[in-house]
Amino acid sequence: MKEFLNNKMALVGLDFITLMIAFALFAPFIAPYDPSYIDSKNVLAAPSAKHIFGTDALGRDLFSRIVYGSRISLSIGFIAVGIAVLIGVFLGSVAGYYGGKVDSIIMRFVDIMLCFPTFFLILAVIAVLEPSIFNIMVIIGATSWMGVARLIRAEILTLKERDYVVASKVMGANGAWIIFRHLIPNAIGPVMVNATLGVGGAILVESSLSFLGIGVQPPTPSWGNILMDGKSTLGVAWWLTVFPGVFILLTVLAYNLLGEGLRDLMEPRLRK
Amino acid sequence: MIGTLLKEEPIFRNVSRQRGVFNRIPLISSAVFFFLSVAVMTAAEINPDKPSYGDAVVMGSIGDARTLVPILASDSASSEICGLVFNGLVKYDKDVNIVGDLAESWDILDGGLTIVFHLKKGVRWHDGEPFTSYDVEFTYSKLTDPNVKTPYSGDFERVEKFEVIDEYTVKITYKEPFSPALSSWGMPIMPRHILKNEDLNKTSFGRHPIGTGPYKFKVWKTGEKIELVSNHDYFEGRPFIDRFIYRIIPDDATIFLELQTKGVDWTGLSPLQYTRQTDNDFFRRNYVKFKYPSFGYTYLGYNLQDPRFQDVRVRQAINYAINKQEIVDTIFFGLGRVVTGPFMIDSWAYNKDVKPVQFDQARARELLGQAGWVDVDGDGWVEKDGKPFEFTVIVNQGNAERLRTAEMIQNYLKDIGIRVKIRVLEWSTLINEFINKRRFEAVLMGWSLARDPDNYDIWHSSKTRDGEFNFIGYNNAEVDRLLEEARRTFDQRKRAAAYHRIHEIIYSEQPCLFLYSSEALSIISKRFRNVEVSPIGIGYNIIKWYVPKSEQRYR
Repeated sequence: MKEFLNNKMALVGLDFITLMIAFALFAPFIAPYDPSYIDSKNVLAAPSAKHIFGTDALGRDLFSRIVYGSRISLSIGFIAVGIAVLIGVFLGSVAGYYGGKVDSIIMRFVDIMLCFPTFFLILAVIAVLEPSIFNIMVIIGATSWMGVARLIRAEILTLKERDYVVASKVMGANGAWIIFRHLIPNAIGPVMVNATLGVGGAILVESSLSFLGIGVQPPTPSWGNILMDGKSTLGVAWWLTVFPGVFILLTVLAYNLLGEGLRDLMEPRLRK
Repeated sequence: MIGTLLKEEPIFRNVSRQRGVFNRIPLISSAVFFFLSVAVMTAAEINPDKPSYGDAVVMGSIGDARTLVPILASDSASSEICGLVFNGLVKYDKDVNIVGDLAESWDILDGGLTIVFHLKKGVRWHDGEPFTSYDVEFTYSKLTDPNVKTPYSGDFERVEKFEVIDEYTVKITYKEPFSPALSSWGMPIMPRHILKNEDLNKTSFGRHPIGTGPYKFKVWKTGEKIELVSNHDYFEGRPFIDRFIYRIIPDDATIFLELQTKGVDWTGLSPLQYTRQTDNDFFRRNYVKFKYPSFGYTYLGYNLQDPRFQDVRVRQAINYAINKQEIVDTIFFGLGRVVTGPFMIDSWAYNKDVKPVQFDQARARELLGQAGWVDVDGDGWVEKDGKPFEFTVIVNQGNAERLRTAEMIQNYLKDIGIRVKIRVLEWSTLINEFINKRRFEAVLMGWSLARDPDNYDIWHSSKTRDGEFNFIGYNNAEVDRLLEEARRTFDQRKRAAAYHRIHEIIYSEQPCLFLYSSEALSIISKRFRNVEVSPIGIGYNIIKWYVPKSEQRYR
């Protein structure tokens, strides 16, 4: 813990994430306006005391939209990664523990999934299904679990030879018990690091999809679609692209810093 | 007729075509290219500079063409290209008079029941074959072939007999007077010698067209560009501009960046770009901007098969709930007008006595209540039989104004308890998968209108097949009868009376929500001379455009 507290960058990341989570949780109290309130008298207003980030092409308050957008971005980040971790941990631990054919089949499947250019796979799937927040979370999760599966399998390959696992086996424990009781809890460290980095990645994927117009559909604000909307007015209203862009950048950066910090913590070998 | 659908616009139909407005890019009028009129030639002569050959005009467009078989083309990109590659028998000149194109002259006999066209001699297809009346006959036979999925067949249903008198004369006899008859022959004529054994719905001709027009097809790279080269043997003279390049750039902000780097010479502008982004020295020095009334309007079309939209009170409630003037002011900076009916706002067919309803949300709620939609559980959304009123509006990608309009509609309807979802779709997916298959609840789209107000293809109840224009499924016996009557007389007063009544009925029934007709805004590089705007748009005299040698950019 002390090492972590000494890691200034990780703390900065954590602080920013905490702030964003607060934005998301308390959006109605923080946002000064209704994010979908259209004020046709006040279109494309520059940042001012009244609208600190300015307004968009329909006169909606940009700051309020960004605050509400944090809900979408963060929930997609967390849930997509949650799904990826569940799938990855399950398949990775089964592969690692049972080995043999099961391992071969699962790991070849992982290889196959890794061969797909993930982003294009997501594009194709969204084109068929309807773009909705739920679909986007599931699709991002379902296409990003392979790293987790490999990590956990590698951990389990070494852990399963340990004495306590052997002891448990001798006492008659079955595979599920050993995996969930002994192996996963001990192997989860690197996964958490990977997941933290993954949240940033998922936020970025959501933003990209929304930027392409096939992510979160209007009027629900997400950082990506605010950015897309701003693109058509880039020449006259810089604030519509700069602010959401900065938020995406800082958030992804924060998760990366935090992830790096956690990695240093979990892998004592890397410690100086 | 009507035009085309959508995206931008529609097309040509009857001689008129225009583009524009609507649709994806607001703008350019295209109308016309098709018509290169003779009148215009004189303009060139007055100009002191000596016209010189060479250079290329690069047009930036959001949408790619779908097919270059002209009688199947129903979107503005396809029509635009077809307008340059093909000719009809007649066209509009810049004063909106019908003049000959492939026809040298014509006689109207029997009180309008018969038209005899005398075709121009010596016109050749781009492959060198002579153009004759058999090509016209062939085109006619395809327009009326039930296996050809053309949205334009409605104009030719009244033809009783089509006779080829000799190689350069055709005689068309109508069963009954048909007022848009002459203008309907503005339909591009296709080459019989190439297409006689082809299935038009599938032919590769759709990607390698051969016409008689001022520009010859050269290459089409899907999603990238369509390139045309000038036809040196064009019967109205060789165009000065050697190449016409239609660049497909599916995003208007990117097109705008291309303007700034001069990668595009001609494109439509959004209202914001027109009023604010081009208001600077760079644009004043290098470009000329044009603004003129567009030939179309934007509307929210309901799928009338949907039981919720079958109740006229629901449709009227939506009309009361939406403040169209505010949409025009907010999104178009006032560069548009609220419309109440399906005709061109400045034409004699438009009924100026139909007044738009006042924006009145209380009245909207009352009508919804009468239709059984009430907020029973107090959650702010109306319900009927326990189901909330929720529908999805589909809209094409790349048109920021349209998407914003959808968002404003969503916001207004939220106030009366209707939940609207918006789904943005790529243009051809929108048309092929959703509109043509009737898989939509509501669609936000535009119509480009032809000069003749005959709206038969859009509103007649028989025009609901796949690929046809009455995809909302409107069916009103009186409107059907009036549409038929109006096209059966040449008396403009009688036609006006019928169209005014149609306008009234359609407005009161609200089969779609009429929104606005925005101004067509476009921008063209200053190096082109002889560019002028006319009631049929810009580009009608493109063969007379030229760039002085010293300013040419492309070889």
